[in-house]
Amino acid sequence: MRVVIIGNGVAGIEAALALRAREPAWSITIVSEESDHFFSRTALMWVLSGQLSHRCIEPHERDLYARMRFERVRARALGVDAALRQIRLAGRPPLDFDQLLIACGSRPRPGPWPGAELDGVGAFVSLQDLEWLEAELHGGPSRGGRPPNPDAHVALAPADSPYRPRTSLRARRGGPPRHPVVIGGGLIGIEAVEVMLAAGLRPRFYVREDSFWPVALDAREAAVVTEALRAHGADVRLGEHVEALVDDGQGAVGAVRSDAGEEPCDLCVVAIGVEPNTGWLVGSGVSLDARGGVVTSERLETSVEGIYAAGDCAAVRWFDGTTRPEPLWYTARAQGRVAARAMLGDSVRYDRGPWFNSAKLMDLEYTTAGLVNQHMEGEHNWFFEERREAGGALRSTLRVVLAGERVVGFNALGRRWNHAVWVRWIEERRPLGWVLDHLAEAAFDTELVPPLVIPREARERAPERPATRSNEAPVAAPRY
Amino acid sequence: MELQGQNGLLATFREPWRTRGGVAYAVAGALIGFYTLLYFRDHLGVAGGALDPEAWAAALGLRSRWLLYGALYSLAMIGGAAYYLRRHGNARYNRWRIGVNVGVQVVLAFTLPLVMPYFFTGDPGQFWKYEYYFSYFWPLDWYKLHPGSLQNVPVVFAIYSIVGALVAAPLLAYFYGKRWYCSWVCGCGGLANTFGDPWRHLTSTSTRSWRFEKRAVHTIMFLAIASTLLLFLDHLVGDRNATFHRLIDGGQWWSMKSLYGYVVGAILAGVIGTGLYPLLGPRVWCRNFCPMAALLGLFQKLGRFRITVKPDMCISCGNCTTYCEMGIDVRSYAQSNESFTRAACVGCGMCAHVCPRGVLKLENAPKLQADKKRTGLPVVNL
Repeated sequence: MRVVIIGNGVAGIEAALALRAREPAWSITIVSEESDHFFSRTALMWVLSGQLSHRCIEPHERDLYARMRFERVRARALGVDAALRQIRLAGRPPLDFDQLLIACGSRPRPGPWPGAELDGVGAFVSLQDLEWLEAELHGGPSRGGRPPNPDAHVALAPADSPYRPRTSLRARRGGPPRHPVVIGGGLIGIEAVEVMLAAGLRPRFYVREDSFWPVALDAREAAVVTEALRAHGADVRLGEHVEALVDDGQGAVGAVRSDAGEEPCDLCVVAIGVEPNTGWLVGSGVSLDARGGVVTSERLETSVEGIYAAGDCAAVRWFDGTTRPEPLWYTARAQGRVAARAMLGDSVRYDRGPWFNSAKLMDLEYTTAGLVNQHMEGEHNWFFEERREAGGALRSTLRVVLAGERVVGFNALGRRWNHAVWVRWIEERRPLGWVLDHLAEAAFDTELVPPLVIPREARERAPERPATRSNEAPVAAPRY
Repeated sequence: MELQGQNGLLATFREPWRTRGGVAYAVAGALIGFYTLLYFRDHLGVAGGALDPEAWAAALGLRSRWLLYGALYSLAMIGGAAYYLRRHGNARYNRWRIGVNVGVQVVLAFTLPLVMPYFFTGDPGQFWKYEYYFSYFWPLDWYKLHPGSLQNVPVVFAIYSIVGALVAAPLLAYFYGKRWYCSWVCGCGGLANTFGDPWRHLTSTSTRSWRFEKRAVHTIMFLAIASTLLLFLDHLVGDRNATFHRLIDGGQWWSMKSLYGYVVGAILAGVIGTGLYPLLGPRVWCRNFCPMAALLGLFQKLGRFRITVKPDMCISCGNCTTYCEMGIDVRSYAQSNESFTRAACVGCGMCAHVCPRGVLKLENAPKLQADKKRTGLPVVNL
């Protein structure tokens, strides 16, 4: 059996490991344009700041491919021939396969404004983006471990590849950027801002919405994060819409024009989301949905028999019943495992379960589970701000989301919580009073941190209606 | 906000002195030189010269070079603690752990040994009997359970030595993990976690280094126990068997007692263990050679201490593995949703502290409860 896996990311490598665990004799080939070694994409920001080295973010020892007998091919996949069962590669003869896993991930969504292709404008998603930003901010890679050949394929990378190397403007500028800009109020955006702040720069941060990260945080929670950003020196522009990136006369970015005016800029990180990296599949017979996600069945098989998809590029069924790509680390890992089992012939189904996630926003820890900011029918929110003393500094926030009497979601800043316990309570259809009585069971704070105490008057406060977002119709209450 | 995690980004791998640059080699050279002088002063022919640590101690009015060492040790820990707390003092666990550890060093491992003799005796020849270090136990302080030591120190101290090493230390390790000692009390651990903290990410996390650790540390543990038993045997039969006595405790450099002191006490714990901080990380001794760490590790492995992993939340970033000073690949457990207890873990808590997703938690819990928390992302078998 010849298996080819397109993509050396978490979905691809998890699938390869699961296949090898059961089938010692199968030929497994991993095609990667980006890197020799699997690395944690979610950890790029720490390499950029210098908290980790390039080597630190590789979860396996480098002999993994030899030990597991994974053949590695560094090339860009150009297309699939479903009838011949072949993969076409840039600059190399095609590869034959019996089963194929498409796990090629996503690519950054390009800026929709004029000037988005200027020098000094880029994303922060790939290893090549990291190299570029390391050169811009620090003048080169950090110490302690070689980068895994991000340029091995350079000669063959087409101009539209998300993995093409980018030119640094540092030499021309004579140092790090003086007016760095980050566009896009989401997780990658705040990560880029944090790294710039740590490097001693004062980035300007354009957030299109009126509050930071509105899909996850409500206005009060977002205000806490915005305050933290500003306290560290970031120039946060809420509700400001970028209209164009302006050429400095030499083909590089010189300014950002927004609806509030034009201001200088000599480095611009665009972080307005990602989209499936599936342009190369158009016309191959593998069906794509409207967003470019590879259409998959419950067992992650595509429209072509024997071809599977997993990770950011695959359109899968979400917790809310919709079908679309889900660019998340833990779901990509689970999908890789499920696809591998499907390829092994198991009767298996990808079942995502309730939503949960966590993040670190500057130095604030964020944990969420269930349905939050979904604008449901009958939704109420119970919100609590924990303070050091009455009227004192904020210690943490906790929001419990209710649909009718039933708790359906949690959102917390500041403290650590075990989301698995929260998910169980949601599935057990617990009411608010019960949840508040048992909160200590979900606490995951480090030792010696005083437990959360909720005073009686806060406990008995009636949950409030969320502020409605006028442009959206309410969604139905959850079915799980 | 309640800050438990890494407060702001570190620039570790952008600082040459922390990543085996020239300065790191210079510091390592200076430390190795200092420890060589300290331990091998009598063999190097430096006595009375400018390089004689005894002369430095005398110039400062201290009774011996070991008290000078204690003073320098305490200062290094205080300075290192300031460095550490400025970066990681936002978490309560770190503040308490470092505070207690520095306090133990200053009070139990420096001040008391310095002043106690004056309260018990007027005879300088008897001072050594009362220069007792309450914070060190057998087998780390290998001499504490020697028949000679037990007979010569006051009875209370002898009882403290025996009960501390054979009853209290293992019991506490069973209930709270070996961290109660290695990260809260021990001077070696204290120096590693303060003065040595800037280099904690240099500890190798490779499988090869783990294999070496397991062999080396358990070998030294075996040697420490066996040699102590031999000293007791010598105490019983040495008078009648001159050759045996010469081999075990004859006072020559090649007799067992001297050899253990030179190899384990001086070279492994001092010259290499501390001298190589800036190149191989601060726990070279603790991880690979300390007999007490090995022994307490076995009790820890059987006991209640664990690191609990929150399921499916790990993003494999590697902060935990990188900043583990004992070279444990914490990430490999975290990304497979596996709560775990490793014999090597000294419970410094830095893996949980640097985890950006709050995935890890140090706990002393009965095993059942932690296992109940383990749930994976549901994959439905049909």
